[in-house]
Amino acid sequence: MESLIIEATEDSPKILFDTLSNRFVISGESRPENAGKFFTPVINWIIRFEETLSQRKQEKNIDLPLVFVFNLEYFNSTSAKYIKDVLLIIKKFVDQGYPFIVEWHYDKRDDDMLDAGNEFSDTVELKFEFVEY
Amino acid sequence: MTNTSIAYEFYQFMTEKNVLIAFTGHFDHLVTTSLLKYVRVKLKELNSDPAIDRKIYSILVESIENVSKYSAKSSNEPIIAMLLLCKSDTHFTIITGNHLLNSDIPILREKLDKVLKYSPVELKKMYREQILSKRTHENSAGLGIIDIAIKSNNQIQYNFKLSTDDTSIYLFQTQINIFDK
Repeated sequence: MESLIIEATEDSPKILFDTLSNRFVISGESRPENAGKFFTPVINWIIRFEETLSQRKQEKNIDLPLVFVFNLEYFNSTSAKYIKDVLLIIKKFVDQGYPFIVEWHYDKRDDDMLDAGNEFSDTVELKFEFVEY
Repeated sequence: MTNTSIAYEFYQFMTEKNVLIAFTGHFDHLVTTSLLKYVRVKLKELNSDPAIDRKIYSILVESIENVSKYSAKSSNEPIIAMLLLCKSDTHFTIITGNHLLNSDIPILREKLDKVLKYSPVELKKMYREQILSKRTHENSAGLGIIDIAIKSNNQIQYNFKLSTDDTSIYLFQTQINIFDK
C-alpha cells in the first residue's frame, strides 16, 4: 500500500503515514474548516491498511513495531472526535495482535495537551507512550 | 457628540480595560484564522505563560465556533458577531456575542446550565460520553462548551439580551486565571 502524505496548512495537520518505515504521524494544528472532509480520507486510508497488515501477517512479516505518532500543537473539539475514531481503529488492530505503539507528543509546559492524551488513552482503553519536548 | 469624541471614549475604554482584541463582523473561517494569528502574536508579546497562551487560544476557537453554531441564519444578511479579549493583572476574559433566534434559547440555556453546575469529575464524564456518542454532524462534536468548562475550571457566564421580537444577542464569557495551571 502507498504511503499517505498530506502537507500541513494553517488549520490542518500534516499527515505522514509511511508504510516503509512503519511510522504514522499526525502533526501540527487541527481545526480544519470542514473536519469531515479532511479526516474521512485519512480514516479510510487507515481502515484499508488492515489489508496490508493481514498480508504481512501471512508473509510472517509483522514483527516490527508500527508506531502511530500524535504530535499536535493544537486541535479543536471537532477534530477530537475524529482523533478518537483513529484511535479506535488502532485499538482494533492492537486487539487483533498487530504490534502498534501509540506515541503522544506534547510540549512539557502544556498540561492541557498531556491531560488530553491521558483522556484519549483512558477513553479508548489503549496504552500510550508519552513523549515530552 | 462628535465622531472624534466617540473615538476618544472608545480609545479610553480599550486602554483602560486592556483590550487585546475587539472585533465585530462575520466570523467566517478566513476571518477566524486571521484573528487567531493576531492573538498568537499579541500573547507572545505579553510574555505570558505559554500554557496560558495555549489555553486562551483553545478557548477562543471553541467560543467562536460556539456562537457561530447558534447564530440566527439569515438568507441575505451577513451575521454580525463580536469578540472581545481583555487582560487584567489576574486573568484574561474572552467574550463572544452573536444574534440567535429566541426559539433556540431554551435548549441552549438548558445545555449551558447543565455544564455550569457540573464538577470537574462530572465534566470529564460528560466529555467522555459525548466523544463516544454517535456522530450527528460531521463538523461539530458537541464538545465545545464542555471543553471550555474543563479548560477554564468552569469560569463561564452567559447572557441573552433581547434584540428584536424574534432574536436575542447571546453573550458568552470565559475567564482564564493567569496563576492557576
